[in-house]
Amino acid sequence: MSSLATSESAEQAPSLPGQPRRNPSRNNQPGKSPSSTAQSSPRRTRDNLNGWGFAAPFLAFFLVFLVWPLLYGLYMSLTGKSLTGANDSLIGLANYAEALADADMWHSLGNTLYFTVISTVPLVLVALVMAGLVNVGLPAQWLWRLSYFAPYLLASTVVSLFFSWMYNPQLGLINDALAKIGLPKVGWLNDPNVAMWAIVIATLWWTVGFNFLLYLAAMQNIPAQHYEAASLDGAGAWRQFFSITLPQLTPTTVMIVLLQILASLKIFDQVYQMTAGGPSGSTRPVVEYIFETGFTGYRLGYSAAISYIFFGLIVAVSVMQFFITRRRSA
Amino acid sequence: MSGKQVSRRQLLAGTAALGSVFAAAGLTGCGGTASAASARDIAFWHLLSGGDGIKMQAMISAANGANPGFKVHPTVLAWGPPYYTKLAMASAGGRPPELAIMHASRVPGYAPGGLIDPWDMSLLAEYGVTAESFAPRIWDKSQHGGQVFSIALDSHPFVMFYNTDIAGTAGMLGANGQLQEVGSPQDFLAMAREMQKVTQAHGLSFGYLGSGSQMWRLFYTLYKQHGADMELTPGQPMKVDRDAAVESLEFMASLFDDTVAAKSGDIGTGIAEFARGGSGMLFSGVWELPTFKKADLPVDAATIPTLYGTPASYADSHSFVLPRQLNVDDEKRRDVYKFVSDILKGSLSWAEAGHIPAYQPIVQSQAYRDLTPQIHYANAADIIAYDPEAWFSGSGSDWQTYFAENVQNVLLGRDKAADGWDAFVRRTNTLLSRPNPV
Repeated sequence: MSSLATSESAEQAPSLPGQPRRNPSRNNQPGKSPSSTAQSSPRRTRDNLNGWGFAAPFLAFFLVFLVWPLLYGLYMSLTGKSLTGANDSLIGLANYAEALADADMWHSLGNTLYFTVISTVPLVLVALVMAGLVNVGLPAQWLWRLSYFAPYLLASTVVSLFFSWMYNPQLGLINDALAKIGLPKVGWLNDPNVAMWAIVIATLWWTVGFNFLLYLAAMQNIPAQHYEAASLDGAGAWRQFFSITLPQLTPTTVMIVLLQILASLKIFDQVYQMTAGGPSGSTRPVVEYIFETGFTGYRLGYSAAISYIFFGLIVAVSVMQFFITRRRSA
Repeated sequence: MSGKQVSRRQLLAGTAALGSVFAAAGLTGCGGTASAASARDIAFWHLLSGGDGIKMQAMISAANGANPGFKVHPTVLAWGPPYYTKLAMASAGGRPPELAIMHASRVPGYAPGGLIDPWDMSLLAEYGVTAESFAPRIWDKSQHGGQVFSIALDSHPFVMFYNTDIAGTAGMLGANGQLQEVGSPQDFLAMAREMQKVTQAHGLSFGYLGSGSQMWRLFYTLYKQHGADMELTPGQPMKVDRDAAVESLEFMASLFDDTVAAKSGDIGTGIAEFARGGSGMLFSGVWELPTFKKADLPVDAATIPTLYGTPASYADSHSFVLPRQLNVDDEKRRDVYKFVSDILKGSLSWAEAGHIPAYQPIVQSQAYRDLTPQIHYANAADIIAYDPEAWFSGSGSDWQTYFAENVQNVLLGRDKAADGWDAFVRRTNTLLSRPNPV
């Protein structure tokens, strides 16, 4: 758990054990890596070869399963390729033009962004609260950690089934509980205004444990002296939380928020299994639309074009992440 | 490194040793199958699970037992998009099974793209199966572009199950012990209300929430009862009788008033309600019959009442298709023909699962006539309506999902029937205007 926190502070403490050392040939400062200055040229060549040798399996994987599909997908998006093999001639940017004019594409992209916004906020805040509660020193800490993190280990199918039953309008636990306290039944997965929130709740229960662990690790790394000094100065628990804990957690928060945004943008499994994109397309994320146009609608080329539009969006978010984190560490 | 750790050399040696052990195990594995490998292996994919799956497995085992020359290995995949996606991809990728089950309504999405091969009827005739072996509607459906692309095992219409105890108490049974016939939407609603008085819950069960297939099955039954047609031609707007469609949707919406039927029920809830006597009637597919038999429910069945003048019933057929092989193995293909003919001739056991056999000699046999309630809806084979043909229509298709997307709110009373219908037509017209991928 502490290794998670050290990776956060890697910029400040490059010599921590377990951290990868900087490449000596690039970082040519004498004294920092004495072995590099003593190396003779043929030895370095052999080291380089060894290095490539060790990297080769990964590189091969990278080229075959990432770079090649990426390029092939880009090519495919410029063709009318169909799953049946029909019409795979080049058609230029026609797929992109069609996608940009496709209301369903925009709708599903909007759903993805909506889900990302309304899921990221609770997934970060609830994780913070849970970590705070565990960190104040409740008894049986292992139990809290386990029960907060355990759902994360379940497969999406299990979680989806489980929540589909709980959300069942006639037989579900939740509506039953609502009826007992005199509230009307809710069509959790059947009401276009509610369904996305129902999925957010399921996702929150399922994945919040990961963010919780990151926060807990970071909290436990805040030096106890800070709190001691603050209490000597008469600061109360809230004051300590807002003036010590939260600021110390900033790097973790930035990382969690960005990881969460990227994870939420990729939403597919829960939706596909709980609502299949319904009701009225209100929960269909763009990944599901890509899947539908490509695999059940056979139009691989068109589906590839939508993928690339979505890819562009994710790259934009990642670039934003890069600039935010760089500015922070500068 | 401490001395206790394994050196790289030791590790490599160990891996090599392990590898040889696995290789040896693999060889014995091969030897094991080789000794019994005089039978040719036929891969067969289908999407039949539950009671259907058990019946199909028994039929496959029987066929395997009767034919020492081949052994059919079934692979069961999940119903709907997962199955059809995998089948299309396997065929497009050149590694399909030798034989597959497909809904007859999905053939128009597979035949033009060359994903399946036509059947050679002269070869099938050698095994005693000819065009005359099938009811006319079912035989017509097996053709596409003048060739036979699918050999139907059954037709499985959407029907009405009813609880004879509840119907009897409500005074709804005729002199023959079967449910009285009703001929109009009002009469049907009145009958359902009578049954509701008996059950104190609902008169009718119909689970539809979240299921485009369910909504479509009932809708298309009612729509076809208007004597109306529906045509999907790529490049042209959908041809449809709007008034009939809207009237059908309005009737469906009127069912969900929490007296006639539950306002919000999914398939599972609907079946459970009917099975525990919470309603007198259930709209469902014939494949649900074994569930009620097993529950010892006093169940009978009939085709869905003709409410708009023309008897009609939504149906589809589980049909055998030949996924296109890169190289056709003539011996295996011959085996496949033999296997299919054996299954057709043994389809009385398939009828026990509720389906109407496609193979006429079975339908005309006394053994089939003795099956109740199957025989009470066997007339459906003459009135069945398959989905309008298009590359995107059919059982488990996205098109049915689009139907649900636009119509569910109508059934829940949130949208007007005309608005929901028009939105669905717009969605369909978009599909028709797009490039045809097959």
